[in-house]
Amino acid sequence: MISAQKQMITNGYAGLPFGKVSQCDAGSVGLLGVPSEVDSGPRYGASLAPDALRKMTGQLGTSLPVNGRDLGNLDLSGDWLGVLMQLVTQMADRDVVPVVLGGASDVASAVLAAFPDRPVVAAMPLARRDLIERPSNTTWVGLNGEQPADVWDQISQRMMDWRTARQLDEVQANTLDVPERAVLWIDLSVIDLGHAAGAVGLNPGGMKPETLVSVIGAMSCSWHAIVITGLAPALDTRGMSELAAIETLNAALRHG
Amino acid sequence: MGDAAQIQFDTIPSFLGVPVGDLEDLVPGQVAIAGYFCDNLSRPAAEQRYLARQLRYASGHGKAPANAIDLGDVNVFPLEPDKHFSAVVSQCVAVLETGARLVLVGGDSSGLKALGTAARQVTGADVPVIEVTGGIAGNLPNVQPVILSVDLQELAANWVSHPHRLAGLSPAQMAAQIVATPGNVIAAAIYGLAPALDNRGSTEVRAALAILREVSDRLEKGAG
Repeated sequence: MISAQKQMITNGYAGLPFGKVSQCDAGSVGLLGVPSEVDSGPRYGASLAPDALRKMTGQLGTSLPVNGRDLGNLDLSGDWLGVLMQLVTQMADRDVVPVVLGGASDVASAVLAAFPDRPVVAAMPLARRDLIERPSNTTWVGLNGEQPADVWDQISQRMMDWRTARQLDEVQANTLDVPERAVLWIDLSVIDLGHAAGAVGLNPGGMKPETLVSVIGAMSCSWHAIVITGLAPALDTRGMSELAAIETLNAALRHG
Repeated sequence: MGDAAQIQFDTIPSFLGVPVGDLEDLVPGQVAIAGYFCDNLSRPAAEQRYLARQLRYASGHGKAPANAIDLGDVNVFPLEPDKHFSAVVSQCVAVLETGARLVLVGGDSSGLKALGTAARQVTGADVPVIEVTGGIAGNLPNVQPVILSVDLQELAANWVSHPHRLAGLSPAQMAAQIVATPGNVIAAAIYGLAPALDNRGSTEVRAALAILREVSDRLEKGAG
C-alpha cells in the first residue's frame, strides 16, 4: 500500500486523528459524521456527505484551525437521534465543541434539541417553524423571499435579526446582531444553485459560496455546536458545495 | 482530402500558434515556450502534466506572438527525481545561455524550482521568484532578473473545473498582475492546473491560454 492510501484511511476529517469523545481535550472539537438521508423529494445523497468531506479535505490538504478528534460516523440503527443528542451533550459537558456533519435536517434537529435554551445562528433559505418557536432568538442568514407571511410576522414580533441572501451578497455582512455564543446550523441549500448544485434543496436565489464563508467568518461568536446538513455531494461534480462546506466550517472555527 | 482536413493534419499544434523550433534557432530576447510533463514531484496532482498538451490544442486562434518559439517539451524523468532535476536544470541553462527567455508550461511546481537553479547558474546570483499573487514585488530595479511564478491554483473557483479554493483571482486579475511584474523577467513557470476534458475544462484551458499569452508578452518586454 502506498503512503497516500494509508493516510486516507488513518486520518479523519482535515487530518484529524480518529478517536473517542473521552480522548477529546477541552477547547478542541469532536467531529462526528451522521449520514442520514432525506426522506422525500427528488434530490437526495446527503448520506454521502460526511465521507465525501473527509475525502476532499484529504485531497486538498485542509487543516482545521483547532485541534480535535474525528469520531467517525454514527451508526444509524436503533434510536440514533437519542444517541446523537447524548453524544453532543457529553462533548459540551467536556467543553468540546461538537461539529456534526449530516446528513439531512433531522441531524440538526437532534443537535438543537440537546441545546434547547441556546440561541441559534441558522444559515438556510427558508425559516423553520421549530427554530422560530425556540425560547431563544435565532439569527437568520441567507433567507430567500419565499417565507410564508405568518413566519415573517413571528420573526418580526420576536425581533429576530435576519438578512436575505441578496442583502448579504450586495453589502458587508458584519452588521448582523449575533449572540456571544450560539449553535451554528448551516443548511447547504442556502447557497445558490447556480454556484454550487450539491444540495438537497433547490435554491435559485441563494448566497454565493464565498459570501457564506465571509459572513460566518465575520461573526465574533463562539459556538456551542456546529452542524452542517443538506450537502449532497453527488449532485455537484465540481465539488464546489463540498468546498463551500469545508471553507465555511474553517471560517466558523477561527473564532471559536 | 479537403483543404480543411489537410491543414488539420499538416499543422503541428504549438503554443499560441508560434513556430516550432529547437535550441539552435533561439536568439537573444526571444521567448522560448516549453512543455513540462511532470506532476509527481512537488505538490503532486495527477494530470497537471497535460496542461501543455491542452494549451497547444487550444491555440488555434488569435495572432501568434512575433518573437516567440515553441521549443517542444523538456525531457523529464519523473520516476528518478535526482536525474530529473539535473536534466531539467541543464536544459533550462542551455536555453537561458542563448539569451532567450524561457516559459515552462504545465506540470507541478518542481519546474519552477529547476528554473530557479538554472537562472542562478546563468546569472551567478539568486534570482527572485515573483508570485502572480503579488508576493515580494516591492521596488525591484528594472534590470533585476526575476522569475515569474504563475500558479493556476490561484484562479478563483468559478474559473476551474475542480476548484481547490473558493476565493482567488480571475484571469483578468492574473493578467494585470503579470503585466505589472517588476524587474527583468527572464523566465516563467505556468503550472498547477489539471485541465478537465469537458465544458468546464475548456473554460479553464481558455483562461490558461490567455494567461500564457500575457506571460509571453511580458517576457518579450523583458525589463519592466
